[in-house]
Amino acid sequence: MSSIPSYATHKPETSCRCSAYLDWLQMLTGACLILFMLMHLLFVGSAIISPSLMNGLSKVFEWTGMAQIGGPVIFFLLLLHFVLAARKIPFASKQQGIMIANARRMHHLDTWLWVIQAVSGMVILVMGSIHLWTVLTNLPITAQKNAMRLQDSRAWIGFYIVFIPMVWLHTGIGFYRIMVKWGIVGIDGRPGLRKKDALIAATAMVIGFMTLWRFVFLSIN
Amino acid sequence: MARMLTFNIFRYNPQDSASFPHMQEFRLEETESMTLFIALNRLREEQDHSLQFDFCCRAAICGACAMVVNGRPGLACHTKTKDFPDKITLMPLPVFKLVGDLSVDTGTWFRGMAKKIESWCHTKKVFDPNAQEERMDNALAERIYELDRCVECGCCVAACGTALMRDDFLGATALNRIARFILDPRDERTEKDYFDIIGTDEGVFGCMGLFGCQDVCPKRLPLQEVLGKLRLKMAFAAANNLLPKFLRREVRL
Amino acid sequence: MQIFQSDLLCIGAGLAGERVAIEAADNGFSAICLSLVPARRSHSAAAMGGMQAALGNSAMGEGDSPDVHFADTVKGSDWGCDQEVARIFVNNAPIAMRQMAFWGVPWNRVIGGEQTYYKGGKPFQAYEKPENEGLIHSRSFGGTAKWRTCYTSDGTGHAVLYALDNRATQMGVEVHDKTEAIALIHDGSTCMGAVVRCMKTGELRAYLARAVLIATGGYGRLYRATTNAVICDGGGMAIALDTGVVPFGNPEAIQFHPTGVVPTDILVTEGCRGDGGTLLDVNEYRFMPDYEPEKQELASRDVVSRRMVEHIRKGFGVKSVYGQHLWLDIRHLGAHHIHTKLREVEDICQSFLGVDPVTQLIPVRPTHHYSMGGLRVNKDGAAYGLKGLFSAGEASCWDMHGFNRLGGNSLAETVVAGMVIGGKVVEYLKGADTVFKTETMRDAVAKQQARIQSLISGANGGEDVYAVREAMYDALILGAGIFRNGKDLQESIARLNTVLDRARKVGLKSSGLGASPELSLALKIEGQVKLALCVTHAALNRTESRGAHTREDFPERNDRDWLTRTLATWPDSAADKPVLNYEPATKVFEMPPGDRGYGGGKTIPMDNPPEAAPKGANGKAQGSEK
Repeated sequence: MSSIPSYATHKPETSCRCSAYLDWLQMLTGACLILFMLMHLLFVGSAIISPSLMNGLSKVFEWTGMAQIGGPVIFFLLLLHFVLAARKIPFASKQQGIMIANARRMHHLDTWLWVIQAVSGMVILVMGSIHLWTVLTNLPITAQKNAMRLQDSRAWIGFYIVFIPMVWLHTGIGFYRIMVKWGIVGIDGRPGLRKKDALIAATAMVIGFMTLWRFVFLSIN
Repeated sequence: MARMLTFNIFRYNPQDSASFPHMQEFRLEETESMTLFIALNRLREEQDHSLQFDFCCRAAICGACAMVVNGRPGLACHTKTKDFPDKITLMPLPVFKLVGDLSVDTGTWFRGMAKKIESWCHTKKVFDPNAQEERMDNALAERIYELDRCVECGCCVAACGTALMRDDFLGATALNRIARFILDPRDERTEKDYFDIIGTDEGVFGCMGLFGCQDVCPKRLPLQEVLGKLRLKMAFAAANNLLPKFLRREVRL
Repeated sequence: MQIFQSDLLCIGAGLAGERVAIEAADNGFSAICLSLVPARRSHSAAAMGGMQAALGNSAMGEGDSPDVHFADTVKGSDWGCDQEVARIFVNNAPIAMRQMAFWGVPWNRVIGGEQTYYKGGKPFQAYEKPENEGLIHSRSFGGTAKWRTCYTSDGTGHAVLYALDNRATQMGVEVHDKTEAIALIHDGSTCMGAVVRCMKTGELRAYLARAVLIATGGYGRLYRATTNAVICDGGGMAIALDTGVVPFGNPEAIQFHPTGVVPTDILVTEGCRGDGGTLLDVNEYRFMPDYEPEKQELASRDVVSRRMVEHIRKGFGVKSVYGQHLWLDIRHLGAHHIHTKLREVEDICQSFLGVDPVTQLIPVRPTHHYSMGGLRVNKDGAAYGLKGLFSAGEASCWDMHGFNRLGGNSLAETVVAGMVIGGKVVEYLKGADTVFKTETMRDAVAKQQARIQSLISGANGGEDVYAVREAMYDALILGAGIFRNGKDLQESIARLNTVLDRARKVGLKSSGLGASPELSLALKIEGQVKLALCVTHAALNRTESRGAHTREDFPERNDRDWLTRTLATWPDSAADKPVLNYEPATKVFEMPPGDRGYGGGKTIPMDNPPEAAPKGANGKAQGSEK
């Protein structure tokens, strides 16, 4: 049996479940972050309808402690998810080259999607941290504060123009990958899922940009 | 009017000290129903006797002639030239050791894989030549055969980003083989035995879900579903002892 | 130079070779298989249809027994087979099938109750006994009284080969793939091993073994149009013939398959006709019932092939740029049946022809398919002429096929002969001692090195090896096709003599370094032309028609003069023709010569017809699993 090791070991039990646990964690943290992002979208998107609606929601979060506790938890999930996923991302340039060469040679969409996910993941790690830090150190969240930040400095507008698409590319592709990798969607379902998923991500991106637009032109008083 | 095809073919003979890896251009007039089997043999017989490539059954049954055709791994024998533009680039499969030109050593890789995952029915029973065969449900036999159809061509491995980056990754073909034995009641291995083989980052958890394997498999094996269900099965096999009863699952392939 | 030593050396790692190796390994002997390709790419994998064994589990196989199977096999062989061997085969076939099931072959199984099957294009109902549910099922094949062919969808050869190679891996059988045996090491009486060229590096190696088995498959690639894989080039037979002492049995017994697709000559399985596929001519008229009212499309292969050529000659062929052909029609079997039971057939039509068999006709023509002849061995698989040399499978003339083999019998032969002969090899290994003479080995290797050097340097001449092969193709088919006659065979021999002369003057155009495909071919072309000469000389000499050997100038089956087996040897390697000897086709007559019941034709009877020996007097079934 392959369970009998051919080398000396200090472990009484040879089978290690850690790969399985880490894979579970990677998927579950990813799924949580996807759910969070959808709720976050509804939350900030509410500003499009009315900034006071968003402020109202924010008060609820503040009052229930969701912002104070949930915020740092999300931050932690983001970091954890990155560490878990990074186990699979090549950091050696030779391996990165192999991956990109393969995607290019095969003209293979799913391999390209993975490359996008890996790159956007890195970007989100940095920008997401900045975003979260800025927001969480200035609680409670209000539409006016957001507007002020954006209207104060154009750099922040540039920041979100990059950040929003990165987030939704990563979230959209991540959702698609969970569905196919975990056998939830079958072979025939894959192209259809890809289309629907792209539609949802694109819608989210549009709502994200509309919110950004709203904040940039929101009268602060 | 027949097309004039241009073939760009990878050339390198490791046994010839004067040889170096390069691309060589050949030209050949297309004929009706031309496949790469016909084209490559004509090139060797008419233009360059030293050209190396592998064909065996030339009927897409044996898996010998896998190569990279315009970037995608596939079986050369059932690749019709009419499905391609008039420029065709042929490269040997990556991952496998090069023998020369388009010929690679898949035999060593697959034999090693078979030994590693112990690709045989493990049983404590002894064959009795006088006994009737053990019964099996026909539908189950057909499901086993469905996965047993793999021809070990190596396309799925060559198209897999993970396998290209990490040479310890088992690859879709090995995981599919394990799924075949999990289905087969004649193999008495337990879930734990299977977990020991594939429940790692070299096995099913190493799969990053790119599904190049599914998209190039010349036998159209359901690799995406097999890998997905195996991941779920192995993930629950590991987690079931931590989960409360109502969340535990016995995943069936 | 590397020297490998083992108890058993199998040249060839298809079903027969690996099955013998497994038997040796099971009994504690070391076994190495040489193979031109990885073991699982062996041509055994391409056999789609199935394996005949009288299990009698299915409704249409009810009442089947080894005796019925025996009668079908002997009739099929047109009484050319060795009846002792046929008996050993039919008695052991059910055991071998069950053993393969035990080792993991996903045989299709009986589904109880009313089932729909097809015969002659028409659906009918048969009641499968519920008590047989889950046992190995069988399908219909040409030339059989019962439905006897065990199958796995239409990938039987593939499924069995994979199961067997799994077992070989488990038992530690070594497979050295991409290697080619280019000469046997022997001293004229004992075989000690082989000189082998590594086809990854081009290096020569020596393999020494107490027992050597040749299981390299058939010699179909002597023909341009053949269903055989490109590795079925007669290499194993050529090196045995080259010893000068090992005879090539019945070289002229060559079967053509009725349904090779045009133009690629890829086989579509007989299962198509077994399941109810029909043959149509240029007017889309079903012509087989006119020729063979009873068996129709399911008459034995030689009969169907001949009727097809006959019909084409009458002017009913479909003309195409690749020559004339006929149509195979399986449309009426329905999309579901074709998608599930005949999927490989569908694949072939789609991938190689661009034809959809659910809605379109498949262009087919008779194509070279199987070599009944091979290295003559006795019923234990031991070759005539050299001690320690064995042969099994298509490479051998064990001789259960005689002059025509039944579909499904040859694939079954590989594992049955492998099991039986494997047991005999084990007996031999237990009792045999050999002296390996290093000088014999050194001489053999030096001789091959010299050959390679002179091919590379062009010392013998500058003939292009591919051109020589083309000339061989043209010369052989002229005389030794489906229909044969004295005049064409003589012309064929005259041309092959010229080709042999050219083959001896081959010089390489490329460097010959490394795996060099040109050198591989150059090393065997002379041997191939000699095999072709064995075929034509034997065919010319045999002035009768028997099974697949059809002489237009001698249309009768002549049991009086030709109930014999050809034994061709080539004692003087510089000579231009083989020496032909003959032996009786069979020592035991369980079934005296009679009428096949299909194929038509007259018979010249024996002068003193033998009494029938008692049924199953010999060849008791033998178990082999320890």
